[in-house]
Amino acid sequence: MQDLSLHILDIVENSVRAQARNIWINIELNIMRNSLIIRIKDDGTGMDQDTLVKVHDPFYTTKTERVKKVGLGIPLFKQNAENSQGNFRITSELGKGTEITAEFRYDHIDRLPLGKISDTLLAGIIGHPNTDYFIHLKRIKLDGEVLEFIFSTPDIKDVLGVVPLTYPDVIDYLEDVIQSGIKKIKMEEYQ
Amino acid sequence: MKTLEELRKIREKAQQEMKLRSASHRIKVVVGMGTSGIAMGAREVMKVLLQEISQRQLTDVLVTQTGEKGLSSLEPVVDIIEEGKPVVTYGNVTPENARKIVAEHIVNGKVVSDFVVAAENK
Repeated sequence: MQDLSLHILDIVENSVRAQARNIWINIELNIMRNSLIIRIKDDGTGMDQDTLVKVHDPFYTTKTERVKKVGLGIPLFKQNAENSQGNFRITSELGKGTEITAEFRYDHIDRLPLGKISDTLLAGIIGHPNTDYFIHLKRIKLDGEVLEFIFSTPDIKDVLGVVPLTYPDVIDYLEDVIQSGIKKIKMEEYQ
Repeated sequence: MKTLEELRKIREKAQQEMKLRSASHRIKVVVGMGTSGIAMGAREVMKVLLQEISQRQLTDVLVTQTGEKGLSSLEPVVDIIEEGKPVVTYGNVTPENARKIVAEHIVNGKVVSDFVVAAENK
């Protein structure tokens, strides 16, 4: 994976496969503390303790569609966090959901760039319109000022009524709102 | 930045339109969004598909995504599903190919045979 936004999309896909109805995505960039924290939480099927241990193993996957049995999503994300003197935590409870937290040292040379966070959010939201997303992005500047972007799909669905999120003009609208929100708090980095 | 007021206008316009046609979609476009698909650029392909569909106002086309399909070496993979026709699977789809698939296959109904990796009746 080239950047963190692709890892986020990968984890979101896991959540959807685990039948999550709600997905919470939090990114907190704290310049003062030199830390970048990505937290993704879902209310999907969750995992028991045995499975939870296995997800760190690159040769473990639940995907039965494949002949090749590799599951690199989580091991790679973990490795990328640890490469930047950060840490990676995954907690899960059967029937309740899963929560993943990846912390990075913000100025570490091996920290992956954030990438196009807006593209990841748009792909998740439009690709799985029945899942609800709660997005909270936060940047704490050196002088302590807090910049935030908060967005959730139930707010949008309330206004739309029977009109689907996948309607062309709505896609356009979502792209604009998400892109300008992220731009305002500078939560994207390009390579 | 657009406001919720604009979203309300979109709703009104969409509701008018939805009255004129049936709610079902003519074509379903499915992007393979597993780990290998994402790593190979599936998100960019999805973005282009969404842009094309929104620009061309293709209200009867639905773009959605699925997980791994066991075609890792052919990622990104895109399925075009149309009622009464075989499912066409495109492989190694780039953003440029995706534009071509929208213009030729989805709009004009002509399969872009250069990028097809499988076609099957379901």
